[in-house]
Amino acid sequence: MDELMEILQELRPDVDFENETALITDGILDSFDIVALVGELNDAFDIEIKPNNLVPDNFNSAKAMMALIEQLQDD
Amino acid sequence: MDYYSQRLQTVIAVTIGKDVQKMQTSVLERLDATAAQYADKVMFKDPERSVTFGQFDALTKAIGTFLAGVTTPGDPVAVMSGRHVYTPACFLGAVRAGCFYAPMDGDMPKARLNQILSVIKAPYMLVDEAHLEQAKSLEFDGKIIVMEEIMDTPADEDILAQRAATLTCTSPLYVIFTSGSTGKPKGVITSHLSLMTYIDSVCKVLDINDTDIMGNQSPLDYIAAVRDIYFPISKGASTFIIPKNEFAVPTALFGTLNREKITALCWSVAGVELPAKLGAFDESKPEYLKKLCFSGSVMPCKYLKIWQENLPDVLYINQYGPTEATASCTYYVVKEKVDDDTVLPIGKPYDNYKILLLNDDNTPTKQGEIGQICVSGPILALGYYGNKEVTDASFIQNPLNENYRELIYKTGDLGRIGEDGNLQFHGRMDRQIKHLGHRIELGEIEETARKVDGVKDCCALYYKEKATLYLFYTGEATGKDIVLYFRANMPAFMVPRKLVNLEAMPALPNGKTDMQALKGYFK
Repeated sequence: MDELMEILQELRPDVDFENETALITDGILDSFDIVALVGELNDAFDIEIKPNNLVPDNFNSAKAMMALIEQLQDD
Repeated sequence: MDYYSQRLQTVIAVTIGKDVQKMQTSVLERLDATAAQYADKVMFKDPERSVTFGQFDALTKAIGTFLAGVTTPGDPVAVMSGRHVYTPACFLGAVRAGCFYAPMDGDMPKARLNQILSVIKAPYMLVDEAHLEQAKSLEFDGKIIVMEEIMDTPADEDILAQRAATLTCTSPLYVIFTSGSTGKPKGVITSHLSLMTYIDSVCKVLDINDTDIMGNQSPLDYIAAVRDIYFPISKGASTFIIPKNEFAVPTALFGTLNREKITALCWSVAGVELPAKLGAFDESKPEYLKKLCFSGSVMPCKYLKIWQENLPDVLYINQYGPTEATASCTYYVVKEKVDDDTVLPIGKPYDNYKILLLNDDNTPTKQGEIGQICVSGPILALGYYGNKEVTDASFIQNPLNENYRELIYKTGDLGRIGEDGNLQFHGRMDRQIKHLGHRIELGEIEETARKVDGVKDCCALYYKEKATLYLFYTGEATGKDIVLYFRANMPAFMVPRKLVNLEAMPALPNGKTDMQALKGYFK
């Protein structure tokens, strides 16, 4: 989780990732943030995020992203 | 003689539209014609509502009648409204009142919006209810009008006719703001004639007609949206306004294109890259798409290749050109199958565009050599709003023409005519970059960074291969301080992604910043 928070903070230091739960739905993260984020997460956690993973539910909060990462690592 | 009178003298009388014998005075003539012909057809649609041509026309007349009661013909009307079907109606409503519109993206930080308002000095700002609070918080001396409150104004055809009669084809239609190197945005003024000329030329290439359904990607305040707004008005096409956050969810994006049966897309290169980058074609593909025009920056062909492999029958057009020449100059029809390393030419000029290449000393560039791309024709902007100095420096007499007035715009882009007769793009002469489809002056990034407490010296650079905006700086400010300041003052695409704090800026013997040394930090 710490590593994820670090990546998120560097990407968007202006966003409160601890508490936000509608990052995509409210448009806090835009498409370009997502592209940058997917690349960094793939590298950092040695996973491959697929297009069908790219749904708001998986990216609306840091917690949801962590769950996605763990799920992909298990696969 | 002032610039505007000069322009009037140099404007070429073009006949606009296939079936029109008379030269059109304004886009209103087009709207009148399509509204009559397609009254019950859907014109604009968003996820929540849609308007027919008849409804849209009525809305512009209601808004126009109200505005005619409070404005003077020729006034600017600032418009701050969201991504929905009523926003284009606000634009055209201002035009019906004999005014021109200056669109503003309400998602931009207040400081940026205040800068735009300080340049345009509009007596009225038209907003939707969702942006009312934002509008009230801005430094604006004029009056705020809420669109929802005036939508039922009974149309007064006499007043609207009087206002329409004040327009000529060289009247301003809109002012769109773009990055300026001095730290203040520049408002590019486009006339009815320029817009109609471009629309007709691009429609001919893309074969846009009343069976087309456009999928709008561009923010509605941005130059790239003019096609999505004026293809319906000019040709009877329809436009679906795609919600912004769908671009972060590629499967939803293609689902929308299919549900809405979208046939044509005029997107930024960044927008075309996104679905290919995020693997959207693994899941589905846009089944109804026939035409794809991309522009705004150089297309990396590894992504275009993915589109071509999945959609081999689509017409692909690579368009090039600046806002100052109504969004365009040249186009190239991609007939070949591209490879990862293919570099697309930017092609040939559109109808009514004239291209010339000049050397630094204003002499003509020899065949096969690289020169600055210059453009002339009825598509030239009327200049930068309220900025005669920069206008006069950017729009100049064609140095190759000693016989009559012919203005050209020097784009600052370098080009070369290839052996096949197609123009090739060879980068910028100055420090202007294209990032995520937006035009940015690196100088403006630096001007902004210098305003942050704790930033002493700085230099902005663009790492093109990774599409990352870098800011190198000295001083005790933290990266977070700087990003927060940018987020509060600049559009999102102008926020540096990587910040590097240095003890001292590397310098060249002449004292200037050594940019090559800084590029060593790219990773």
